[in-house]
Amino acid sequence: MAKDSFDPARKSASTDIQIAICGSAGDGTIATGDILKRAAAAMGYNVIAFDLYPPEIRGFGKCISRIRISSVQTYSLKQDSDALVSLNDQHAIAHVGEVRDFGAVIYEDSAVAHLPEGAHISGHIRAAQIPYGFNMRQISEQATNSARSRNIVALGYVAGLFGMPGEIFHKIIAGKFGKKAQSVTDDNLKAFDAGFSAGQATFKLDDVVVGTAAAGTSGADAVMMTGNGAVVRGLLEAGIQSYFGYPITPASSIMERLASDLPRHGGRFLQTEDEIAAAAATVGASYAGSRAATATSGPGLALMTEVIGLGVMAEVPMVIIVSQRGGPSTGLPTKTEQSDLNLCVYGGSGDAQRIVLAPTNVEGCYRCAGMAFEIAEQYQTPVIVLIDLYLSNRYETVIPAKENKFAPKPRVVPQVAAGAEYQRYAFTDSGVSPRALPGDPGLMHTITGLEHSELGRPNGEIHPAMSAKRHDKLASAVNYPGLATCKRFGDSGRVDVGIMGWGSTFGEILEAMQAAQAEGIRCAAMKVVMLSPLPLEPITAFFDDCATVLVPEVNYEGQLAHLVSGAIGRPVVRLNRVTGAPMVVAEILAEIRRLAGVAAPADKQGA
Amino acid sequence: MSAPLHNVIIGGGSAGYGAAMTLRARDASCRISMITMDSLPFYNRYDLPKVFRGSHDWRKLLAVPPAQYDALDIRLRRASRVVDVNGANRVVTLAHQETIPYDRLLVCTGGRSYLPENLNECAGLIHHFGSFEAAMRAAQALPDGGRVIMIGGDMIGIDLALTLLDTGHHVTLIANEQTFWPHVVAAKQRAALLAALAARGMTVIDANRPVGVVAGKRGKPARCVTLEDGSEITGDVVLSFCGIAPSVEFMLGAGIDIERGILVDPHLHTTDEAIWAAGDVCQIWNDKAKSYNFYHGWGNVRVMGELAARNMSGADEVFDVNVADRIDIDDQGNLRSTFWTH
Repeated sequence: MAKDSFDPARKSASTDIQIAICGSAGDGTIATGDILKRAAAAMGYNVIAFDLYPPEIRGFGKCISRIRISSVQTYSLKQDSDALVSLNDQHAIAHVGEVRDFGAVIYEDSAVAHLPEGAHISGHIRAAQIPYGFNMRQISEQATNSARSRNIVALGYVAGLFGMPGEIFHKIIAGKFGKKAQSVTDDNLKAFDAGFSAGQATFKLDDVVVGTAAAGTSGADAVMMTGNGAVVRGLLEAGIQSYFGYPITPASSIMERLASDLPRHGGRFLQTEDEIAAAAATVGASYAGSRAATATSGPGLALMTEVIGLGVMAEVPMVIIVSQRGGPSTGLPTKTEQSDLNLCVYGGSGDAQRIVLAPTNVEGCYRCAGMAFEIAEQYQTPVIVLIDLYLSNRYETVIPAKENKFAPKPRVVPQVAAGAEYQRYAFTDSGVSPRALPGDPGLMHTITGLEHSELGRPNGEIHPAMSAKRHDKLASAVNYPGLATCKRFGDSGRVDVGIMGWGSTFGEILEAMQAAQAEGIRCAAMKVVMLSPLPLEPITAFFDDCATVLVPEVNYEGQLAHLVSGAIGRPVVRLNRVTGAPMVVAEILAEIRRLAGVAAPADKQGA
Repeated sequence: MSAPLHNVIIGGGSAGYGAAMTLRARDASCRISMITMDSLPFYNRYDLPKVFRGSHDWRKLLAVPPAQYDALDIRLRRASRVVDVNGANRVVTLAHQETIPYDRLLVCTGGRSYLPENLNECAGLIHHFGSFEAAMRAAQALPDGGRVIMIGGDMIGIDLALTLLDTGHHVTLIANEQTFWPHVVAAKQRAALLAALAARGMTVIDANRPVGVVAGKRGKPARCVTLEDGSEITGDVVLSFCGIAPSVEFMLGAGIDIERGILVDPHLHTTDEAIWAAGDVCQIWNDKAKSYNFYHGWGNVRVMGELAARNMSGADEVFDVNVADRIDIDDQGNLRSTFWTH
């Protein structure tokens, strides 16, 4: 019998859903999202996830975990979620509007306390959204004699309602609570099963369809990683030997993980008294031949700039990971922003050229961090890996390389002709001088922050030549082998709109570009990974192909737009927002349409 | 400036929907909240037999697109159960203990399916049909060409039974005193109507009450109904259509007069000046008959909802029966009922 195309029980060949879980600190919101995303990854789906939580360690602030689960390649979170799970109506009510038409809103519907009109989420669900109220608290109490597991009950309900396999969740839950008492694991499994049964028993009215997993993706091989986790993995595979740091959101988890992992890899870890000390120790260790790194955020980087200048002047390789947050000053510690580009590219005194890499996704964090030491050593200069809170805390499924591509290569010790004096800063064709380490026999030299001669001795007269050397030696970095310093996507040849972006925003740019293409707009996108030095040739070629170039950025002034238009002398259209949240795909798409002179398709109701 | 009046409608069926639309049409600024236990926006329950014809998209059953509620600023509270109405304080309390103050309240909760008392303990084995979800569950439990056992057979049930016959299923009707409800038919007409159903291919059992329902044995049909003479009938799905009982429990503390349903005057006004009632939940005073009567059927119910809304917003209109109560058989042997007029 022929049936309607919409059937709540139908299965689809593909999956692309986003589930948001919202609660108060202490509700287990982030933990619930963590289990869901790990389970989805284990099922073989591509996962992108991002958590927002309050600045307080524990309190009553809002926590929200958004997880996009897809069988196709996706690049960002969706603007609208397919389902919202409320663990706390007071916080979740504000997010009901983010659920798309015919999506699901899942909430507690048992009585907890007397509520005034409007305090319960059910009164805020739009007519086109599907309400799923159930007794999370009661089910938790029946299953575990406690209401504490209601977040896991809700997770089970989601899995049961959307037809996900419970056994995979069992493994993830058992692993997550494995270090605690067995009763903790048992209670969480009971809570999950009780919620799962309730979800299975619920008649599904939404059109949120969980179909097959990603083709060719093995759930067993894929791992969930945050940007910060990927940075740590890249640094470790590159053989980091020393880490010096001072905690700061959103970079702290890099430090925390290295504090435990680096000593196990034979490295040294030191928490310094401040960021200045961290940078100074890093440049010192690097000078001594250790692969050394530090990580910070904008306020910390502001303190480090003097030492970075020393690294430039003394031509010492060092790696600085910078994860941006809202600024200036203390700013918005737990909100994302892309406003430290200027500081990373230009910050410090003098002409202090350095290399700045800005990965655009989690895998890029792994690659850029992994290659940063090699590039820093190749060019004997500081390398900044620039990410942001959205990328630092964002989870994505990554299939790690089977072999380590970042392991350090054997060092070439400079050879000095008999009777000649070793010149640490010798002028060469490439601009890169032979680098000796302290203790290398016969290669003693002077190092200083003063302008210096080839021998490293203070010398002001040579400043023009040395300035050119330090600048010119970086020119070839834009073609560094194995590193995509910029890359074009979308339509080839002449296009109506080009979109240029950097960092975490590029995912939203790609999604918007694909949506615009689907509407018949000829467009292309270019991600700029190397922000200093700028790969001018491909950027110029991109501008040549585009009738208009749009640069969306999560900062107020348009720092990449300013950098690029200043470098190549071409106008750009800026799209900026500083709400503390990532760029919105719909806003980019609307701007693409406007620039292309194309009207938005008529509003369609439904998926 | 005074706050806009808050009109609260309990019930999301024909009467409630008609009332909400009428209220908005007459007053652009008032607040309107509809509270319903249903998970979906208003759809016509008379269309539910369509799910057995493969129409599984509930969106096609909706009276208006969901966005219309937002456009009209009608706050639709679904999956919400009212547990108390405090007429003195003019407050509605929901099951999750949210309290909603009102200025004017319209109760149009209709009724819940009535199940003969002796079958209460078998309720878990009997499918319901009062909502889209219930209809879908029944449809999913019924294989192609499967067998349905229908207890009672009110006019909603008869409509479904005819659809099931059309779609290649077998229907056994166990007739009782609620068969053809809400029509009141004499014995002779009743026999003729049952004969007409049998002529359409239905198996009709009369004067033999069901006394139990059990799950079928392995390899057998899913349900087995035992009749009072000891005989058994097997089928895939058992449905009960024995009329409806007004849903009024939550109104017991409201301070209004309630008999079987909520008692209202011909203006559909209750004994509380701020409360009206409409649809299957109310008994309307009939001055000629000197009694409170129910008036069922889509045509009556919808008219009641709209009339109550007009009276809530200042009109002074009296309910007159919109659709007369009539059932007969046409020349081709088909049943015709004013209850099915929608």
